[in-house]
Amino acid sequence: MQRKKIHMLILAGGLLGGLAFSTLSQAADPPAAAPAASAADAEKAAKEAAIKAAIAAPPADAAMLANTCAGCHGTNGVSGGPAMPSIAGMPAPYLKTIMADFKSGKRPSTIMGRIAKGYTEEETALISDFLSKTKWVAVTSHPNSQMATKVDAAKAKKGKKLVSDQKCGKCHEDDGLTQDEDTPRMAGQWVDYLIIKMHDLSNKHLKIPQPEKMQKAIEKLTVQELEDIAHFYASQR
Amino acid sequence: MSNFTRRSFVKLTGGVAALGLVSMPSVSAFAAAKKRVVVIGGGYGGSIAAKYIRMGDPNIQVTLIEQNKDYYSGPLSNWVITGLRKLEVQKWGYEGLKKHGVEVVIDQVNAIDPAAKTVGTVGGKKFEYDRLIVSPGVGFKSIEGYDAEAEKAMPHAWNAGEQTTSLAKKLQELKDGDPFILVAPPDPYRCPPGPYERASLVADYLKKNKPKSKVIILDPKDKFSKMPLFTGGWKQLYGYETPNSLIEWIPGAQGGKVTRVDAKAMTVYTEMAEFKSSCINIIPPNKAGAIAEKAGLTDDKGFCPVNLETFESTKHPGIHVIGDASAAPGLPKSGYAANSEAKVCAAAVVNILNGRPVGIPSYVNTCYSLISPDYGISVAGVYKLNAGKIVEVSGGVSPGTAEDTVRKQEAVYNESWYQSIMADTFG
Repeated sequence: MQRKKIHMLILAGGLLGGLAFSTLSQAADPPAAAPAASAADAEKAAKEAAIKAAIAAPPADAAMLANTCAGCHGTNGVSGGPAMPSIAGMPAPYLKTIMADFKSGKRPSTIMGRIAKGYTEEETALISDFLSKTKWVAVTSHPNSQMATKVDAAKAKKGKKLVSDQKCGKCHEDDGLTQDEDTPRMAGQWVDYLIIKMHDLSNKHLKIPQPEKMQKAIEKLTVQELEDIAHFYASQR
Repeated sequence: MSNFTRRSFVKLTGGVAALGLVSMPSVSAFAAAKKRVVVIGGGYGGSIAAKYIRMGDPNIQVTLIEQNKDYYSGPLSNWVITGLRKLEVQKWGYEGLKKHGVEVVIDQVNAIDPAAKTVGTVGGKKFEYDRLIVSPGVGFKSIEGYDAEAEKAMPHAWNAGEQTTSLAKKLQELKDGDPFILVAPPDPYRCPPGPYERASLVADYLKKNKPKSKVIILDPKDKFSKMPLFTGGWKQLYGYETPNSLIEWIPGAQGGKVTRVDAKAMTVYTEMAEFKSSCINIIPPNKAGAIAEKAGLTDDKGFCPVNLETFESTKHPGIHVIGDASAAPGLPKSGYAANSEAKVCAAAVVNILNGRPVGIPSYVNTCYSLISPDYGISVAGVYKLNAGKIVEVSGGVSPGTAEDTVRKQEAVYNESWYQSIMADTFG
């Protein structure tokens, strides 16, 4: 009861306050509504101009830029978290493409799209070049994480057969070790990340950029089969 | 000594001076090779600064002084309160930093002399520095009645560790039907979405264990971080804004500001009402950690003004302040922002000590919160410095509506985020 009263009081106060304000501002300046709106517009325009100017400002150096990624992707791109991909030592052209696709929205994401939009092409190139020169560490030997990958040998064995049957090695050569501008390294990647990513790739509604034959192969696989494949690639070094 | 004539004294000192001159180049070369940086505080900010200075220039001698042997992470400690995680997985040590050549000293700093460029500790040690980095986290401003005893009875759990387990215990012992009272702090404070993630996870716990209870948030503010996402999730999961809601949020405009607490009576008072429970969580107004205040690094708002290009204090040259203690308009007081500030500061310090320009900074924030164990949301931001101001060039929060799988993925990323940033910090 007490609270309700107070609430009403505050509401009345707010209304009164609003009234007083509009009366005052009308007295001072007859077309009161218009300046208020344009003040907000001006603030918005100033904010947009500040963002534009900041984007146009010279980029930081490669290490400064790339080190900001480490909070999620680990120091020098060696991830410590099972759902976050390691990106250390990946080819610069591959990283540039992925970042451009995140930025344009071509590649769907939960958070990377919001982040990729913050970098110019020049900055993305600096980040990609920096990370392409860092050293890959297979997650099975990751020294820091509390969640060191436990690769399931039985699943990895089934995965090995699936990879062979599906002819994954035609592109993902050397059991996922080979990488180039279109192909990420998978040997020694985190199990959880591989599962999440393959699951996304198998969902054609997400329209993730990928070769047609990859899409056709992956969409036929069951969740269990994807998990087996993930364990196989993670077990490699 | 008696036959020590003035002349021989002159000769002697002249000789010493000459010797000094001769040896000077090698001494200064040695000194240049061994510049000294002292870092105070080994959390999300200080540990990163120490590590990245060593990575940037292994010739710099870095000493990290931290008062606790073990570090307990604030991020994800809300999960411990409701039993989703053990405190043990929040605990990290300093072995990793030692491998980077950081000298780790477990001691408490009680004096900073900006003129002499020295730091003194409770343990009686004294450290000289060329550059000092202060990363002490937050301390608390007082609320009437919230003294050391009250802190035990009504834990803040805003520094993880004992306080976290204490609040977890009180939640466990809460009688079904009694409220969990959460007193939120005014801006600015550490971890802006933290109180609301805490309320969410407690509501999840109550839903499963004590359905007659609810969370009452007493808030001096009228809005908060990720608010539409939180309230949207609360409506979806906890009946928010219905008579049976598991969460009641009382904002400042409705008298949510707590003015006084009474730990003996386990009661908190707002201007117009009182709230009583066996389980009260008080998050007092924040300010920079005690040592920053003692060293005269803070302003009238209680935080440390800094140059945003280097995080060097505007009060005392040669001293940098990073993390929650710094006043960095444009950046939130988050673990990720502390990590990012530390890297900007580390690069600047390495450049300054090598006589190079400080360099251009780049900052990022990424912060996840849980609304339930399977419902994650995030905020991200990429920032550049332009015309002396930090400008968010991209970012934002998770979409207002999303499929359950997206919320679940973000909950999974939350845990992996933690593992990666901890590997970055302590690995």
